[in-house]
Amino acid sequence: MSLISLTFLIFMIVLLIAYYKVSADRQWIVLLVFSLAFYMWVHPLCVIFLAVSVIATWYLARTPSRINFLLTVAINLGILIVFRYSIYFGVHDLIVPLGISFYTFMTLGYAHDCYQKKIEPEQDLLHYALFITYFPQLTEGPIGTYQKMQPQLLAPHRFDLTNIKEGGYRIIKGLFKKLVIAGRLTYYVDTVFSSPKDYGGLTLITAVFFYAVELYADFSGYMDIVCGISKMLGIELAENFRRPYFSRNIQEYWRRWHITLNEWFKEHLMLPAVTSKWNIKISKVMYKIFPKAKKGTIRTIFPLILVWIVTGIWHGAEAVYMCWGIYFAIVMLISFTTTGYFKKLKLRIKWNDSNIFIIIFQTLRTFVIVLFGEVMFRAHTMSDALLIYKKIFTTTRISADALTAALVPFGNGNQAAASSIILAVLIGGLFIVELRKETDEHAFTKHRYVQACIMLTAIALLGIIGRSNFMYQQF
Amino acid sequence: MKKTVTTLLIALLIVSSVVVCKNLFSYRIPIGNRGIQGAVKSGDIDRLFIGSSTFRSNLDIDILDKTYDGKDYIIAYGGNQLMAFPIQYDEIAGRSDNKYDLMIFELDPLMLTEPVKLSDSRVVFDLSWNGKKALWDNLAGSEDTDFSVFYEYFVTSGLDDIFTYPLTEPFYSTRYKKGAKTGDTPSSGRDFLENEKFDISEAVIDPIQERAVRQLIEKCRANGQDICFLESPHYHRLSDDPVYKLYLQYFKDMLDEYGVRYILATDVPFDASEPEYFEDMGHMSGAGRRTYTEELVKVLR
Repeated sequence: MSLISLTFLIFMIVLLIAYYKVSADRQWIVLLVFSLAFYMWVHPLCVIFLAVSVIATWYLARTPSRINFLLTVAINLGILIVFRYSIYFGVHDLIVPLGISFYTFMTLGYAHDCYQKKIEPEQDLLHYALFITYFPQLTEGPIGTYQKMQPQLLAPHRFDLTNIKEGGYRIIKGLFKKLVIAGRLTYYVDTVFSSPKDYGGLTLITAVFFYAVELYADFSGYMDIVCGISKMLGIELAENFRRPYFSRNIQEYWRRWHITLNEWFKEHLMLPAVTSKWNIKISKVMYKIFPKAKKGTIRTIFPLILVWIVTGIWHGAEAVYMCWGIYFAIVMLISFTTTGYFKKLKLRIKWNDSNIFIIIFQTLRTFVIVLFGEVMFRAHTMSDALLIYKKIFTTTRISADALTAALVPFGNGNQAAASSIILAVLIGGLFIVELRKETDEHAFTKHRYVQACIMLTAIALLGIIGRSNFMYQQF
Repeated sequence: MKKTVTTLLIALLIVSSVVVCKNLFSYRIPIGNRGIQGAVKSGDIDRLFIGSSTFRSNLDIDILDKTYDGKDYIIAYGGNQLMAFPIQYDEIAGRSDNKYDLMIFELDPLMLTEPVKLSDSRVVFDLSWNGKKALWDNLAGSEDTDFSVFYEYFVTSGLDDIFTYPLTEPFYSTRYKKGAKTGDTPSSGRDFLENEKFDISEAVIDPIQERAVRQLIEKCRANGQDICFLESPHYHRLSDDPVYKLYLQYFKDMLDEYGVRYILATDVPFDASEPEYFEDMGHMSGAGRRTYTEELVKVLR
């Protein structure tokens, strides 16, 4: 069931009525039933694998031990690998259970927290099942933590019109980002990336830039929609984005993009890896080779590489994702290991970080680094990605012909100019709103009805209706 | 709650107003040099060509102008379909007092096998409400038509052009002259043309397209409008394909049944195996367009 469909609208209305009609102590049951119904609607059989994961994790986590934790990891990763990566072993007809990557991370995070005794294991199977299957976060995240989600899921929630209004506003915002901005960029990006050999450098740069905006509008739009849905139920989901393209360095970028995934990696992979025996041993050897280096820096190097390779593989086992992961591992490593050096240098040359030109320079530099990586993330193959890099560096020209050629992928020549102007206005508008928010967190909190009215009108008149799949669903 | 309802109602009111105005009046937006509006505005036209982007690319307007004293015009839409021809004819006949000596419609055998769809929203933009309704009736008959097609057709199609009209119309004006392309497109080269993939082996006649040809002929005949069909040359790899030939014969038989004139690509001395003349299988380069039109006008005379 797509979140952008009439079926889902009916589903939501029935859920809200049922949720607020039943007694407060049964609200969680309504949520569980509707969450399972939502999941089964997509593919009834896939609920079996979800059930196996939920029951096994719940049972094994109740008595935390090393063996139980390892068993939980084996079962969940086993299911994930079979479904996500079987295609690379020649098995093509397996239907990948919806949201498997996301709920696997939630179960593993829960099991790890129980094992580390950070949380008390949940004694009620159905309570635990609700935590994993809660439908707004099941398919694409955010990857919620048990500590933050469970108290909210089980708490009674009284009908509050403010929640409905705020949730509704957030949903409209998400729909606007998805249908109007991302939807309009899709055609251009798909056209260019499906055949990069046919386009010149300027067109390829435009497509890469559009892809970055599309990915952000699509993914953050999805998050706005699910956060809005959850808000209507009185439950706050974790935020996944904080205007990432305004980051001033790459470390900050990854603290502001897909926040819950990166926090998960930090909590459940990076920190355990840093304190692991193997890493301490390697670090000692490295310290002997680089005696001047800081111990903390050396101990972080290998876990950082590990995290980024796993992040790459998590997105898919294709070479493009692996290379994308390695690219960011290298960039992060350079950024991480040179931070101290640059701090000293800045002090020596009296570099003022709050100077507007320096802020612009740092933000643009980070954005370009991200764009460079996005080429691999979007290209179909590594040879396509390399071709794009090559063409960008060798065939980019700024001329009337190149600009006209850059309009071609907008589609039929008759609509290209109009589409490009509308897109320029939309992207410019998004940029201004985000920039304003960056400088003032409370900006755009007034006149929400006017904003909602404008966005609804734009969705109806400029939205691309009929393409309701979200980009991150494939992961 | 009151504010929420008001917000929704205002948004609905704005959207409805824009949609209604667009559907009723889009065809009245002044367009100088292309489409039905352009043709109607031009007034005294003797020869009117109606077809797809192939006509736009393959007919040289300067050569036609020289031959017909400027009394010619090309109405072409990207992917224009046979099912739209009778509707476009009705629009022109209904909105113009001009008497056309000859209307020349595109004869592309593969158009008969095209599934009914909307490929260029300008087609809708240029039609009056009655034309829009008639075209929708055809689209609604297709299995591929779903809510998103309906929505695009009646709500979003053409809106980008309307919203950006003051900025984009001057730009478009430079690209067309009396409906024809003004820019010169280079050839894509032998390698490209010899390797470009196409598969027409599964092509089957779409009854809506066939019915439209018959309707068009009957309408023109009833109105005493002289018409002719013109097959534009395709790169030889496509026009030599047995399936292409099969449907060309089918089209010819249908026209013969009504005694309607047609000019085949082979009736015009033109080398369809010369890669320099083509951009792709159906669209010509500037050189191809000029060479072909020079020969065509001799035949059309």
